[in-house]
Amino acid sequence: MNEELRFHIEQYAEDLMRSGLPREEALRRARLEFGGLNTVKGDCRQARGLYLFDELVRELRYASRLLRKTPGFTVTALLTLALCLGANLTIFAVIDAILIRPLSFPSAGRLVTMYNTYPKAGVDRDGSSVTNYYERRGRIPAFSSLSIYRFGASIVGEPGSTEREQITQASPEFFTTLGAGPALGSVFTDAETTYQTDDVAILSNAYWKEHLNADPHVIGRKIRTDGHFKTIIGVLPPGFRFLSSESQLYLPLSSRPEDRVPAERHSGGNVIQMIGRLKPGATLAQAQSQIDAQNAALERDDPQAKMMADAGFRTLVVPLHADQVAAIRPTLLLLEAGVLALLLIGAVNLMNLLLIRASGRSKEIAVRQALGASRRHVVTEVVVETTLLALAGGLLGIAAGIGGIRLVAALGADRLPLGAHIQPDAGLAIVALISAIVLGVVLAAPIAWFNVRLQPSRALQSEARGGTAGHAAQALRHGFVVAQIALAFVLLAGTGLLGLSLKRAMAVSPGFESDHVIAGQISLVGSKYPSPESGLAFTERLTNELSHQPGVAFAGVSNNIPLSGANGKSAATVVGHVLRAGESPRANYSYGVAGDYFRAMGFSLIEGRFLTGADSRRGLRVCVVDEDFARYYWPNTSALGHRLFQGSEAGPDAEVFTVVGVVGSVKQAGLTEDTAQGAVYYPYVYRADNNIFVAVRGSVPPDSLGSALRRSARQIGPELAVNDIQSMDERIAESLVARRSPALLGGIFSGIALLLIAIGTYGVLSYAVAQRRREIGVRVALGARPEQIRAQFLSLALRLLAAGMIVGLAGAWVTGKAMQAVLFHVPAHSPAILAGAAGVIAAFSLVACLQPSRRAARISPMRALADQ
Amino acid sequence: MGKTAELLPGTLDMLILKAVSLKPLHGYGVLLRIRQISGDALEIPQGSLYPALYRLEHRGLIAADWGQSENNRRAKYYTLTAAGRRHLREEAAGWDRLVSAIAAAMNATSEEV
Repeated sequence: MNEELRFHIEQYAEDLMRSGLPREEALRRARLEFGGLNTVKGDCRQARGLYLFDELVRELRYASRLLRKTPGFTVTALLTLALCLGANLTIFAVIDAILIRPLSFPSAGRLVTMYNTYPKAGVDRDGSSVTNYYERRGRIPAFSSLSIYRFGASIVGEPGSTEREQITQASPEFFTTLGAGPALGSVFTDAETTYQTDDVAILSNAYWKEHLNADPHVIGRKIRTDGHFKTIIGVLPPGFRFLSSESQLYLPLSSRPEDRVPAERHSGGNVIQMIGRLKPGATLAQAQSQIDAQNAALERDDPQAKMMADAGFRTLVVPLHADQVAAIRPTLLLLEAGVLALLLIGAVNLMNLLLIRASGRSKEIAVRQALGASRRHVVTEVVVETTLLALAGGLLGIAAGIGGIRLVAALGADRLPLGAHIQPDAGLAIVALISAIVLGVVLAAPIAWFNVRLQPSRALQSEARGGTAGHAAQALRHGFVVAQIALAFVLLAGTGLLGLSLKRAMAVSPGFESDHVIAGQISLVGSKYPSPESGLAFTERLTNELSHQPGVAFAGVSNNIPLSGANGKSAATVVGHVLRAGESPRANYSYGVAGDYFRAMGFSLIEGRFLTGADSRRGLRVCVVDEDFARYYWPNTSALGHRLFQGSEAGPDAEVFTVVGVVGSVKQAGLTEDTAQGAVYYPYVYRADNNIFVAVRGSVPPDSLGSALRRSARQIGPELAVNDIQSMDERIAESLVARRSPALLGGIFSGIALLLIAIGTYGVLSYAVAQRRREIGVRVALGARPEQIRAQFLSLALRLLAAGMIVGLAGAWVTGKAMQAVLFHVPAHSPAILAGAAGVIAAFSLVACLQPSRRAARISPMRALADQ
Repeated sequence: MGKTAELLPGTLDMLILKAVSLKPLHGYGVLLRIRQISGDALEIPQGSLYPALYRLEHRGLIAADWGQSENNRRAKYYTLTAAGRRHLREEAAGWDRLVSAIAAAMNATSEEV
């Protein structure tokens, strides 16, 4: 276009020169007659339909110039956006990964899990039994496929280079049920589910790549697990991930014929879990009623039926995804609510700042409108400016969000169910940018409305007379401050409740002395330790070896330790105890212990004596119960000398255990466990387990105790690996992560919110002072004292604060009620917390308004009135 | 420059199409040609010529191509498209009707009323 226009002008000039004008003059005349080159160009572009684009570029340039001219405002706005959007992005990433995104299987919505529950016996969840599986497979029409699985660990590799790997044992239909199977090779068959025939394995993709060099001919090769050779029959695809499992090997879930009989129907023990896939068109309710019907039919000839009915036995069918995340869901939703409140505070803050800015420019806008700027133009300008701001803030917010996701990971998000899926990705970035644009437009709307409604004559006059701002705009600004304070109040009060709840949980005694103790896990390979006695011999040698290590005071072994994550409840039958009317049989925690377990763990002895390795060695049928158990069965007498049987039925006299001691109760499931379930400790041989925990107490630091444990274990069995070595203090801290992290995040959100309300209050008050400069000047000239002026502005701030608090109090009341589910021993409304929140907010907003008020009081009448 | 007439609103497009229909022209050529075929009576405001050209091109009534000018310089030449030819015909017919109607009106005498 330039070339064409230049050509025109030069041609014309040449023609003029031909008529006798000198070159310079000719060019001048030619340009003059052509008119403004830029105007013509603009007209041409408009004619070509490029008008809108041009206008946008112009507006963008104008907006960025304006923003650069007010760095204070721009930086505040950008920081506000970055923090608020970043926080929202972080929490959204967590929610998206855990709650929203379906499991990575085809039609994952049709996957369900089912488990046995005995609520009246104190067992809410008992998994499923092998018998359940054989009785149900193929007999529940609502399922196209149904299978069981069990998580575990195995020692994998040749002697000398063994590693302990996570494994999953699964029934043959497992991969069919999930709808995703091996990329290479095949799945298990029914023939491979006995201990004699189960020598096959399917590898995870990661294991195949890392340990077998991604060998494409791996099928048929052997791999050594727990001392046995297994034939590799399949390799899973790279994306295969079952829930949160990190299993490297999938093995058949074998069982003996005697494990599959009706008598074993209720022996799930929450170890084996069952999943099913609903047929297309089948509903959860149909599956539930079919399972109920089958249970009812089976119970008719079940000798245990009466007892199970008393225990409230049922099998529940629930969606697999929802079941996985059920426990964490309320906390996540709470965090989402908190972070949305933060976004609202930020948005309101920005809107207020923008409104103030718009008021400051009202004269300019009025002049431009009077000079013919169209309404559309005024609106576009505002929309472009705020969108530009929001987009820049959005980009910063993405950066903040990535940082936030790292922070969340550091806080232990990967330990949440499905938590390993949390990752910043392009989808999240797009969501962030789109929300930023939406936010920009939403923010622009009231500003645009304000500018358009502006009546040029009024705006110019009101400025000339030095009057006060329009009432509507002022009310809007004040309303925003009130809303901000109210939201911050709710946020602070909610965080306070979380913090108090965490504090209460931390104050709970675990029931044992957790300092100076470590515990680690050892899996005894079944073939080398086939009997309880051989396992016992191992524990004897290990504890003996440990006691010779420097700094070790006591060492002991148990099949389960407090806060291990496993629960291991089962029944005990107390001799002489008759079920009272309405009383159902109870399940209690059951342990098998050897060595100096009680002293190592730091249990307190209430009466009698502890169990020691000697009890196991001599085969004494003795046991120790905890206080809860003793109080329940023998509330008025000593428990010592009383007798009980393992299991839900009395056995022959030769199998009865005599209580020789009572120990203090410990928290098994977590510090916040409230039910006094009771516990029985048996000598290890009577409750042997190939998976044992070793507890070591000593005066040296936990790390040294850990290496002492590793050293001793290697001395006895070079093939043994000790895993999961942690001090008990660490285990306690970790068990509180689901309470600590939300409280910490809430604290961060509250901090940001406080900063935002300080900025908001400061902005509004500063503006009010600037607006009324002249009025103040006049009043001071007429004799008003500075204190009066200051008091006037402080009282405005106090009024806003009070209004915000009242609204906030109502909000906090509702929030407290809604939060009850995630709180521990904390009432929904704690006056101390409400008062604390009020105090902190009052302090922040009052500090924020001191400076503007002081500035108001210092206004000199001469200067104020002379200014124009 | 002689006596020039005011350009009636809306007639510029028609004049450009007419000028271009005779022979492909560059922008400056259009200006000269209109002056020439109107017997020096019509003077196109230079500032509005190019927006009009771009508008016509945008509507597909004329097409532009770079070519060589008489003095061997690069210049953009405009030609009439088929749509432009049709449009010019309609415009011309409309213009004729308007002119004769106005002429008839202006020649009316009191007897004819």
